[in-house]
Amino acid sequence: MPSAFLGVLVLNPASSLDSMLDSMLVLAATPATVAKAPIIAGDPLALLVPALPILGLILCTLCAIFRVKSKLPAFLTVACLAGAFVVTAKLFTGHDGGVSIASGFQWMTLSWGEEPGQRFIADFSLYLDSLTILWMLFVTGLATLIALYASEYMSHDVGLGYCRFFAAFNLFVFSMACLVMGDNLLLLFLGWEGVGLCSYLLIGYFYKKPSAVAAAKKAFIMNRIGDVGLILGVMLTFVHFGSIEYREIFAAAQPYIDLAKAGKFSEIPAIVQLIPILLAVGAFGKSAQLPLYVWLPDAMEGPTPVSALIHAATMVTAGVYLVARTYPLFLLSEYALPIVAWTGALTALVAATIGMAQFDIKRIMAYSTVSQLGYMFAGLGVLTSTGAAFHVVTHAFFKALLFLSCGAIMHGFAGQLDLRKLSGVGFMKGWGVVGLGMFVGCMNLAGFPFTAGYFSKDMILAEAFVTPGMAPIGWILLLTAGLTAYYTFRVFFRVVVGPMHYEPGDELHHAEEDSHGHDHHGASEADAAHAADAAHGHAHTHDDHAHHEHGHGAHFHPHAPGWAINTVLATLSVASIAAAGLYFVKSPYEGGMAHGGAVPGMVERSSAAFETPFSHHGVGESHETIKEGGHEGADGHAPAHAEGGAPSFVPTSIAKSQGEAAHAGSFLGWDPHKVMYYVSGVVGFVGIFIAFILHYAGRRTAATARADALLPAFGPLAGWAQNKWYVDELYDLVVRTPLWIVANIFHLFDKIVIDGLVRLVGGIPRFIGGMVRPTQSGELHGYAAGMAAGVAVLLFLVFMLTMR
Amino acid sequence: MIERLAYLWPEIALFATTCIVMVLGLSRSFAVRKATAGVAGLGLLVALYLAITTTPGTVGGPLVDAKHGQSFLPTMVPFAKCLICIVALILLPLLAGTVDRAEEARVASGRGVFNPLRSNRAEFYSFFLFSITGLLLVASADDLIWLFLALELTSLPTYVMVAISSSRHRAQEAGVKYFFLGALGAAMFLYGFALLYGATGTTNLNKIYDIFTASGISTLGMLGLLITLFGLFFKIAAVPMHFYTADVYQGAAPGVSAMLAFVPKTAGFLAILLIVGTVGWRFGPEGAGTSLPEPVRITLWVVAALTMTIGNTLAVMQSSAKRMLAYSSIAHSGYMLVGVIAGPGDASFSNNGIAAVLFYLLAYGVMNVGCFAALAAIERKPKAGEDEVREIDHVDDLRGICRSHPVAGWTMVICALSLLGLPPLLGFFGKLPLFTSAVSAGEIPLVIVLGLNSAIAAFYYLRLMALPLLEEAHPRAEATEDAPFAARRVAGLVSAGGVVLLAVLAGQLMTQSEIAGRYMPQYKPAAAAEQSQPSLMDALQAVPGVTGGR
Repeated sequence: MPSAFLGVLVLNPASSLDSMLDSMLVLAATPATVAKAPIIAGDPLALLVPALPILGLILCTLCAIFRVKSKLPAFLTVACLAGAFVVTAKLFTGHDGGVSIASGFQWMTLSWGEEPGQRFIADFSLYLDSLTILWMLFVTGLATLIALYASEYMSHDVGLGYCRFFAAFNLFVFSMACLVMGDNLLLLFLGWEGVGLCSYLLIGYFYKKPSAVAAAKKAFIMNRIGDVGLILGVMLTFVHFGSIEYREIFAAAQPYIDLAKAGKFSEIPAIVQLIPILLAVGAFGKSAQLPLYVWLPDAMEGPTPVSALIHAATMVTAGVYLVARTYPLFLLSEYALPIVAWTGALTALVAATIGMAQFDIKRIMAYSTVSQLGYMFAGLGVLTSTGAAFHVVTHAFFKALLFLSCGAIMHGFAGQLDLRKLSGVGFMKGWGVVGLGMFVGCMNLAGFPFTAGYFSKDMILAEAFVTPGMAPIGWILLLTAGLTAYYTFRVFFRVVVGPMHYEPGDELHHAEEDSHGHDHHGASEADAAHAADAAHGHAHTHDDHAHHEHGHGAHFHPHAPGWAINTVLATLSVASIAAAGLYFVKSPYEGGMAHGGAVPGMVERSSAAFETPFSHHGVGESHETIKEGGHEGADGHAPAHAEGGAPSFVPTSIAKSQGEAAHAGSFLGWDPHKVMYYVSGVVGFVGIFIAFILHYAGRRTAATARADALLPAFGPLAGWAQNKWYVDELYDLVVRTPLWIVANIFHLFDKIVIDGLVRLVGGIPRFIGGMVRPTQSGELHGYAAGMAAGVAVLLFLVFMLTMR
Repeated sequence: MIERLAYLWPEIALFATTCIVMVLGLSRSFAVRKATAGVAGLGLLVALYLAITTTPGTVGGPLVDAKHGQSFLPTMVPFAKCLICIVALILLPLLAGTVDRAEEARVASGRGVFNPLRSNRAEFYSFFLFSITGLLLVASADDLIWLFLALELTSLPTYVMVAISSSRHRAQEAGVKYFFLGALGAAMFLYGFALLYGATGTTNLNKIYDIFTASGISTLGMLGLLITLFGLFFKIAAVPMHFYTADVYQGAAPGVSAMLAFVPKTAGFLAILLIVGTVGWRFGPEGAGTSLPEPVRITLWVVAALTMTIGNTLAVMQSSAKRMLAYSSIAHSGYMLVGVIAGPGDASFSNNGIAAVLFYLLAYGVMNVGCFAALAAIERKPKAGEDEVREIDHVDDLRGICRSHPVAGWTMVICALSLLGLPPLLGFFGKLPLFTSAVSAGEIPLVIVLGLNSAIAAFYYLRLMALPLLEEAHPRAEATEDAPFAARRVAGLVSAGGVVLLAVLAGQLMTQSEIAGRYMPQYKPAAAAEQSQPSLMDALQAVPGVTGGR
């Protein structure tokens, strides 16, 4: 009998990787369920993608146990993650564009009947399609690079803390792999909570610093609010569709998709229309959208590599992934996609305005992340999941680059992040790569023509104007694009170029005595109190303080980044530039769409294409219609939606596929697809130009800029923006204070009523205990008598009840 | 009868090991004496291997039929034997250092030579193996006399083990109490067996099954059934036969207490399944339902509800960790009785109460060992004038042990959470099918009682979790130290690791226990299991007993 599970239990630890793989294969070959839909068995190699980070986690834990005091854990991590990347790349090259499932092991199977919906299956199996592979490519690739970067960045903490950092790092990548690759919503949820946990652990990495701990808690709690939505969404999905496995859900949702295509939303049950909205709430929490975005800027308390990987490139895009993965469900609701679109657009705008007024460069990047995530959601909402995913990929690279560059500055300047106190960094000796990295990243973020960010942003902007009823979103996003260009280059002109000047932050390193950065001029004396308000991160836990007093004198020399940081920055710069090429590369699969490049080509083969691969239309035929319908005219399979009186936007897919012959959307009368390249290019230029005038031209010293003279002109607005529109304070007032009051009332209630009840209930056993004490005295005959009496009473009772 | 021997290889191997162990423990050589436990473990491993390969109903093994065993639970035996061997293997290291500590210290210090007359090691380990052998024999019983002897073989060694587990008077008192009350329980089920024999004229379980099926259950037979059940309630420590539990567990050494919480309980539940299986889950309102005969059902129902409620409420009041775990053990018996009441359902795992009981026995065995291991791994230095090392028992002794004794502390935390049934751990996967099977059997009130009791249980399990993890050590507490037996910590680690690892493999375990929990009359191959276990299912379909050819 239990040969199967014993086989797993008694896995010989000495057995080679091959036999491990063999046993995986054996398990993979055992289909766990009887599914109606044929399952294409995926490459079992895929299981290595989550397995390798787990291996890294185990190795890092071992390092911690053996008190390794070197950079070993970092290099073990880099090796494991690079392995995961190679495996993912191999999956990519071997992928044919279809959906396959790599079975891991049977995890949970419950059934209470033979009917569909009476069976709850959640296996550890991986869902392999192009969307999964796309996501894992950049997740594992960036994780590898950032781990390498962190090996140097965290080097001041070598020892237990170092092991802790990299253990959490590995756990994060594993959780992300579960989230992205899982073939069911439960596994996604597992990964979702896992990345949340790792985010919590890593934001609070400097756990002796109260602000870091507070930020960690804030992130965790904000995410829980979103998770309620996700949990409810998953439960409703199971209740209604009878499964949480993607392929079953999509198959079960197909009739509704057909209804939605016909615009008959009233025939779709309300519960089905509720599911995507609940899932969206979860996505808003994880991806820091209105109103749950406030945790992300605070999350910058974590070490910068964490900010770059988790809070810019990967984890925060989990929300986008969730929406993209369950896109067929989002098409079933009249309101889900408009909600997503509007939330995204408003978040993009609000975050951008806050970003304009901040002085902490890492926070500016955080707000820009929130803003760009807003773009992605807006893209999903206006039916360009392809554009959104493209933006996710390009953003992952250039934002990671920006963060890591900021991190290098922070690392070298003792925690200094205030853009008023840094200037001309790019021209200091040894800082060239950082300056270049900042330049490439800023160009991308600002959407400078022919950068990757430019192409991906354009896809979303154009689509916003094409989609009927979504033009206001297009205008908001266009305005945001201008603001983005402005605040991005505000940082660039102030920090990277201009007269060389710096004031160190209040956190000084050991080993400042290296020879870099001698040829600077400018004031180095900064009193700690002055610098403290701008310093973030980098709490040193030990013996820094002696150095602190000492080092704050004229002896401070910034220390330029070493080989690991420079290599990573250079690689990411090249990758960010090269990402633009993705736009021109053809789709890796047969029959891809004509333009849009490789990333959209991958996305449209997955469930994120809004004509899902599960629909009865042929795959190739359908995207032609959808994506290019506007230009080439609709071919007739979409039902003509001529009844009129339809809500302005709602019948999304229909409007898209049929209406575009008449060009429902336009940009001031032109075809948005063609004109947007120029418009957004011009907007970007304008933003950069304003930043140039205000923050570079005529600037003699670091602190002065024309913008500061202009500030009073905006009156209180500037101050409000600087104070983040007082959103945190508003939440305090609206949520926290009432909760505090309610909590106190409940506390009183608890003390008086509940405790009283408990004491009463607790007294009952005591009372009974007192009654039966004679038999509980420990005396043998008492026990025997109790047993005999009990048996007699119960027997008598049973016979009285049954033998009438 | 001789052909039955071919199906008892695990028992035979274990018996042989027992004889070897009995001699080894008396050797003058310290190294040989030290190897006693290792040999016992080896014997258990061999028994486990044989249980997998040779037990009727397993892949490639010989097949069961009415001549060779009871045939109404045809696939239960291999799973039961495997779970017994696995838990026994975890229990074994926990017993390290229980007996002979003073004697060995005396010999090691050179104050005397080894005196076999003062050593208990040999009989301690061999009694342990005897008890496990008895337990395996219970699993393969098909006859009332066989069952009685097997139950006694399981119990008798434990009486002695309790008495010699510690040199304190309390242990001897506990041993005597346990023996006399155990005799009372044995008398009761022996009386029940006699009545069953009187009612049916046979002691063979298959024949009793046939007679009950063909001509109904006479009043005499029903009385025999009920009295048998009450006798067996002693083994599982169910109300009203639970009185001894707390005193005996507290008196015995922690390792022996852990064994008492598993071995007799498993024997009792296997025997209950066999006895109840002779009447079957085929009664109900229209005479063709899926529940037990009404008197049996009511008895089990009332006893289950009382057992879990009394166990949990009394556990809440305890300040001794061992008494708390004793009452928790009573409560868990109540939970498992729910599975017996629910019965096999339609043979899918979620509906199958028998599978739930078998699964839970394994889960309970694994997580329960961990809690006692945490207690056994920490001790205090003896006070001046005493030579007995004092074990920790008061719950306040557990404060802050996650910091001072990380292995023991975390074992306690994980195992307490698992006993509570917290979702990612094994205890959750154990409790879940008890709930689902009872729901599908329509026992909603009982499910409510079960749910309420799980909530009450949270009260003291969370205490067992929070004290080690969250509290600081009591300022006035005397210093504790790690017990000088690494094996006890290993037992704790294995148990805590098993709680986590087996939860990951819960799907596999569920499939296995689903197969094990098939009750013959309702037997129909579930499609899912058939696909995942093709070879076993092929074997099963070839079994004459399974298809009704008795």
